[in-house]
Amino acid sequence: MERRSALKTMAGAVGGLISLPAWATGWTPETVSLSRQFFSPQQEAVLAALTETIIPKTDTPGARELNVYQFIQKVVADCYDKASQTKFQKGLDTADELAKKSFGKSFSEGEPAQQAAVLTQMSQSGDPDLKAFYSMVKGLTIKGYLNSEYVMTNLTNFQFMPGHYYGCVPVPAKTGTKSD
Amino acid sequence: MSYFNIDAQAQNTYDAIVIGSGISGGWSAKELTGKGLRTLVLERGRDVRHITDYPTTMTQPWEFEHRGQLTHEMKEANPIISRCYAFYEGTHQFFVKDAEHPYVQEKPFDWIRGYQVGGKSLMWARQTQRWSDFDFDGPARDGFAVDWPIRYADLAPWYSYVERFAGITGNKDGLPNLPDGEFLPPHEWNCVEKHFQKEVAKRYKDRHVIMGRAAHITQPQPIHFQQGRAQCQHRTICERGCPFGGYFSSNASTIPWAAKTGKLTLRPNSVVHSIIYDEQKGKATGVRVVDTETKQMKEYYARIIFLNAAALNSNLVLLNSTSRRFPNGLGNDSGTLGKYVAFHNYRAGISAEFDGNLDSTTDGRRPNSPYIPRFRNLYKQETDFLRGYAAGFTAGRATKTNQEGFGADLKNNLLNPTLGGWHVGSHMMGETIPKESSYVALDSNLKDPFGIPQLKINIGYDDNDDKMVKDYQEQMTEMFTAAGFTNIRLRDDHRNPGLDIHEMGGVRMGKDPKTSMLNKWNQLHAVKNVFVTDGASMTSTSTQNPSLTYMAMSARSADYAVKEMKKGLL
Repeated sequence: MERRSALKTMAGAVGGLISLPAWATGWTPETVSLSRQFFSPQQEAVLAALTETIIPKTDTPGARELNVYQFIQKVVADCYDKASQTKFQKGLDTADELAKKSFGKSFSEGEPAQQAAVLTQMSQSGDPDLKAFYSMVKGLTIKGYLNSEYVMTNLTNFQFMPGHYYGCVPVPAKTGTKSD
Repeated sequence: MSYFNIDAQAQNTYDAIVIGSGISGGWSAKELTGKGLRTLVLERGRDVRHITDYPTTMTQPWEFEHRGQLTHEMKEANPIISRCYAFYEGTHQFFVKDAEHPYVQEKPFDWIRGYQVGGKSLMWARQTQRWSDFDFDGPARDGFAVDWPIRYADLAPWYSYVERFAGITGNKDGLPNLPDGEFLPPHEWNCVEKHFQKEVAKRYKDRHVIMGRAAHITQPQPIHFQQGRAQCQHRTICERGCPFGGYFSSNASTIPWAAKTGKLTLRPNSVVHSIIYDEQKGKATGVRVVDTETKQMKEYYARIIFLNAAALNSNLVLLNSTSRRFPNGLGNDSGTLGKYVAFHNYRAGISAEFDGNLDSTTDGRRPNSPYIPRFRNLYKQETDFLRGYAAGFTAGRATKTNQEGFGADLKNNLLNPTLGGWHVGSHMMGETIPKESSYVALDSNLKDPFGIPQLKINIGYDDNDDKMVKDYQEQMTEMFTAAGFTNIRLRDDHRNPGLDIHEMGGVRMGKDPKTSMLNKWNQLHAVKNVFVTDGASMTSTSTQNPSLTYMAMSARSADYAVKEMKKGLL
């Protein structure tokens, strides 16, 4: 609905010159978030918990609530080559094994402190594959989080249509996230 | 039966045929229909209507499944087009996929194409610098190509004519090597760009940093509102198609304008096979087309033909238009068809940092950037290479984010980035020399999916280009250092020719029919009712972006063609 009002504003801004085509009004979040299942349900649960450990819920939603794991699943499934996909899946399994060794439960069932301990262990691991997996999952989590609709529209000053370029403005006292 | 044929021929007969609907084809169509000619525009790709067929133009960043990233499958299947900076999840629908339209690379050449109504005018980078007499005089002076049959004065009024309609932003800078035009208000500078401009002006009287001229409507005039276009909204996602018509494209501007005359017939999905030459009449009578949906060959007829298929495809069409009179391609008495192709060298770049102006930053986005017109070998030959280069320049300030660790601290850091320093960068646009050895030809065996011979491309860099890269890097390093920029990094990515998307020539203009294909009206010396007004017609490449010149030439030639037609000479 936000999108529709944005489109209306846009049409208004140029004096009603634009007649909107069907696709512009036919959009819903559901139609663009369809995804094919790539990870096993277990791996998906580990991934969701990992993203939440990296960016947890505070006074604003964390990565899990923003479905960052779905974005990661899509990118790994569609944009990675076979070798990287296998490495990523192996990383998820290893994280789960580490959890089981450390606190006797699947990673996704752990307490936040237990999950954090496993993540610390991964980040300091001497195993290059595990360390690489840790930076990969962290990088994707950050990307998915910062590019989520919630963060871009509520927490950062993303402007889809700035309408201007001012070349020399004073640095604001406090700088919010610039996603543009 | 013969009656049927006559009927069919009458139905398929127009006053003019324009081959291609991109930047130059759109202008040819607008001018010819505007002068009352029933005009058929043939486009090999699908129809793309303004706004309606821009599926991603309102897509928010988070709505892209992969946040803009190309899929592995798409990249694997398209190694060539994937190298193009403008090809991503939001734009792939407008670019030719590698496998669909094959060609032969005798030398590596990244041929970047947009086969649809509007062609590449939908995804271009919109820089519109006029050429000057330094460019048109150059070959005669330097002896690196044949003399141009025109000079700046021939094109100047037509530049003005197309600029006013298209909407060009820029500043009047009064430089002889980059003539001023009919400009809408220029885009704003930022502090560091201004600083660089000042520092360069202080040290070099012959070097200038100016705001680029670009096809953006910064202040709409009545003529733009009449086209249904509006002010640029600074979204900087132009290559997805602009619903405001904020930048110039055939789709937003010339094609709908031509359609309003009622004289336009637009036929998408029509790959031109060849131009039909009638030996008795001594002129071209029409065009053979393969319908991409039915794969049927059809013929269309007209009194004049404008060839605007984009540089290399215009070469291909002429090469494939053989007859007893022209066994080596239409109008090819000189034997130069397909030869003397050149391009712009974008290989080199430079980037650096600047720790001044830290009290200021930018707000919004700008679909344009400053520009450094050519300053090498302008008034005299001063280096050991021929010609010169122009350069893009830009400064910006990014945010820094501490991404250490994880958890609530990381989250807090991500949402509270700090402003980093300024970064500056430039890329070169070098003029390359049109050589006989840089050519395109038809492959004798391989055919494309429409039964047309594949184009064989044989174009490469030479010593002159290497020397120019080196000089660009040296001169820019000197200028960057003088401006106080630090941490200077040089780049030479040795990209394949073609990736610059400024290929030109092969059907060059010239005074002498023995050494050129086209006369000063972009008219085939040997077939007077065929005009070529796209990049194929360029005798040399200048250092400026070529699109504006194609627009001006198309309008000028159409004007001439209609006058000649009315005199009964075509």
